[in-house]
Amino acid sequence: MLWFDLADPIWNEFDKMQKEIEELFDLTAPLSNIRSVARGSFPLINIGETPENVIVYILAPGIDPSKIDLTIEKNLLTIGVERDTTKDIGDNVSIDGYHRRERISGKFKRIISLPETIDPNNVKAEYKNGIIIVTIGKKEEEKSKKIKVAIE
Amino acid sequence: MADKRKEIAKREDSNIAKETAKKVRTLVPPVDIYEDNEKIVLLADMPGVSKDGLDIQIEKNVLSINGKIENIVPEDAKPIYVEFGGNEYARSFTIGPEVDVNRIQANLNAGVLKLILPKAEEVKPKKIEVKVA
Repeated sequence: MLWFDLADPIWNEFDKMQKEIEELFDLTAPLSNIRSVARGSFPLINIGETPENVIVYILAPGIDPSKIDLTIEKNLLTIGVERDTTKDIGDNVSIDGYHRRERISGKFKRIISLPETIDPNNVKAEYKNGIIIVTIGKKEEEKSKKIKVAIE
Repeated sequence: MADKRKEIAKREDSNIAKETAKKVRTLVPPVDIYEDNEKIVLLADMPGVSKDGLDIQIEKNVLSINGKIENIVPEDAKPIYVEFGGNEYARSFTIGPEVDVNRIQANLNAGVLKLILPKAEEVKPKKIEVKVA
């Protein structure tokens, strides 16, 4: 044999450890979603699923609700938001008055792919405490049904 | 005796389990800090925090901002794509004596905290004498 048998549990463990370390320090290019963004991007998105709905949470603090542009086409959800953080301070803001400027300003657009199971005609959205919550219903036939299996 | 010890060990185990279940993940909110002649303005992005979950304290010269994120995710929801996580925000700053702590104003709107820290009417200039030996 040319190399240690990786099926051996010990070597498996080492291999796993090595992988974990590499992932931790981002040494390898990780497998990521084609539309994923770098850490600290704006707005950040989480997606969850219940038996009835797919729920999208968009972290978008301090946005004027009229500057939120949400569209859904087939299974693609497009979110456009715009914010000007200088306006939060007031009028006549001079840039040299800033000690720190960490909050992101600008115009942003993100497109996310949702599961094929969604019904694009059944969407509702709300804006609560700076989070846009989009609830999309699933197609009737896709709603997970509990099937009881009889055990003989 | 041995039984008692076992019992204590068990209780400690269950406490540890409880603590890990309620693990707190603290996020550092991004801030803008702006200063003009009258005031310092602090803006912090704290999406998910409502008025009830917000706690602002000043102790001596330390301003602490703490916000608990309201749980908005239904219990039967499973994550399918995740870019953020955490259950509270916390950040602290030291402030100088020129800030009039009794007139600090706080306002929370759409997940953005705005703190206005006015400067005291009379900020007495302090003269430093340099002695030449």
